[in-house]
Amino acid sequence: MREVSVIGVGMIPFAKYREKTLAEIGWPAVKAAIEDAGVDKKDIEAAYCGSALGGMMSGQRVLKQLGITGLPITNVENACSSSSSAFRQAYIAVAAGVYDVVLVLGVEKLTKFGGGTLPLEKEDFEVTHGLVMPALYGMRARRYMHDHGLTKEQLASVAVKAHKHGAKNEDAQYRNEVTLEEVLGAREIADPFTLLHCCPSGDGASAVVIASAEKAKQFTTKPVRVACSEVNSGKYMTGFRDMTTPEITVRGAKQAYEEAAIGPDDVDVAEVHDAFTIAELLYYEALGFCDKGESAKLLEDGDTSIGGRIPINPSGGLLSKGHPIGATGTAQIVEVVRQLRGQSGNRQVEGAKVGLTHCTGGGISGFDHGACSIHMFSV
Amino acid sequence: MAQTAENIHEKYPLDGAALRLATDGTPTLIGLECADCGTRAFPPAPVCPECMSENVRDFELPDSGSLYTWSVVHVAPKGWNVPYIAGYVDLPQSVRVFAHIVGVDAADLEMDMAVTLTTTVVGEGENGTVESYAFTPAKG
Ligand SMILES: [Zn+2]
Repeated sequence: MREVSVIGVGMIPFAKYREKTLAEIGWPAVKAAIEDAGVDKKDIEAAYCGSALGGMMSGQRVLKQLGITGLPITNVENACSSSSSAFRQAYIAVAAGVYDVVLVLGVEKLTKFGGGTLPLEKEDFEVTHGLVMPALYGMRARRYMHDHGLTKEQLASVAVKAHKHGAKNEDAQYRNEVTLEEVLGAREIADPFTLLHCCPSGDGASAVVIASAEKAKQFTTKPVRVACSEVNSGKYMTGFRDMTTPEITVRGAKQAYEEAAIGPDDVDVAEVHDAFTIAELLYYEALGFCDKGESAKLLEDGDTSIGGRIPINPSGGLLSKGHPIGATGTAQIVEVVRQLRGQSGNRQVEGAKVGLTHCTGGGISGFDHGACSIHMFSV
Repeated sequence: MAQTAENIHEKYPLDGAALRLATDGTPTLIGLECADCGTRAFPPAPVCPECMSENVRDFELPDSGSLYTWSVVHVAPKGWNVPYIAGYVDLPQSVRVFAHIVGVDAADLEMDMAVTLTTTVVGEGENGTVESYAFTPAKG
């Protein structure tokens, strides 16, 4: 397998673009990534598009706006892991020597569904019986609070940290700081969560251009190396499972660290899947940034804030930057690549050399999650 | 109250083969038991998720278990009667069931408390009220 590098990234601010089509939301991110890479659109040999709810041929609909057509375009759906799974497919193709330059995009328009909770698969037994995503995470949170003594205030402080970071990110959907009292006092969604414990619904797009390390030299003197690429599916379990241990992330992290020959202590910055406050805490532990039961302390000590030992979600994460499902995976990669290039301005993690992105997707009966992707990058 | 096959289907559109009601209305949950490898799962399905055998049979789940966790749901799609309590119930013989938790104030719920099977109205459908199985704290 060949070494693969990221040579270009781009995204649009996550927001509610009710008046725009999916194609109109998507193309500016793609154009930005191509310009950032310094490639000609004719250099792109294949494209992979991640979208969970964009409908058929999302990639073609976006790319025709820029005349990027006639090449192999593959559309990938893996819920919240859609574009990170698309990235994995692109990575495999370049690493295997099939292509030298490939485009990956993620695009989503959730405003077409109105508001409220994410529409889930209606054939799923638990969904038909009233399972919604906030309740699934809320149940994880309740059990974790019981097992590990996590307080409501500690849980709410995840959102305070997310917004503190997001306020510095011009691509974030919510750029306001929030207080602990505001988080605790917001409208109830699914206990222990108020509205501010939940990622917002919205629209967005993000894109990445990758190339073989050899080919990358033609375009840039500062390529960002892809250190590992992992996508897993959850394990179907019919009986008891510990909902405070996200097994798919634990398993994926072990594989990712082995593949990259990098340990959690070597990671300088990470973007993790904080769809709900409890998720970020569970992932501190699952990704090995702290021991089981220690996540609240890691947060309280400031270790995961910008300036701390291992800043998590400097972009604001899903909670503040927003979570247009299919666009999230590649947007995490955009953030980490910019961090490793030293382009993150007032939210720069100083001296970051190794970055990690983590994205899980899908509430399906019997699974911790349907899918999970973990990528690592280095300079 | 006696239930004919037709009105069970109409009143309990969510549950399908996963719920049986006795003539006195007593509910029983039905799972899958694999005759080849012994795997048990809920809801029932025509094939074993462990060994892929289609030699599976119905399995009557125990009607009491323990509440693993819960959440009070305030925001849900149209049709649901909010707020409701969503929970996971662990039944003996290692089957976990997602269910509404009823007949109790959320403030009185406790982790791992004993709960027992019942039925309840969960929402409004095209044909009137929608009922489903649910769990409620065990008496005593
Ligand atoms: Zn079997």
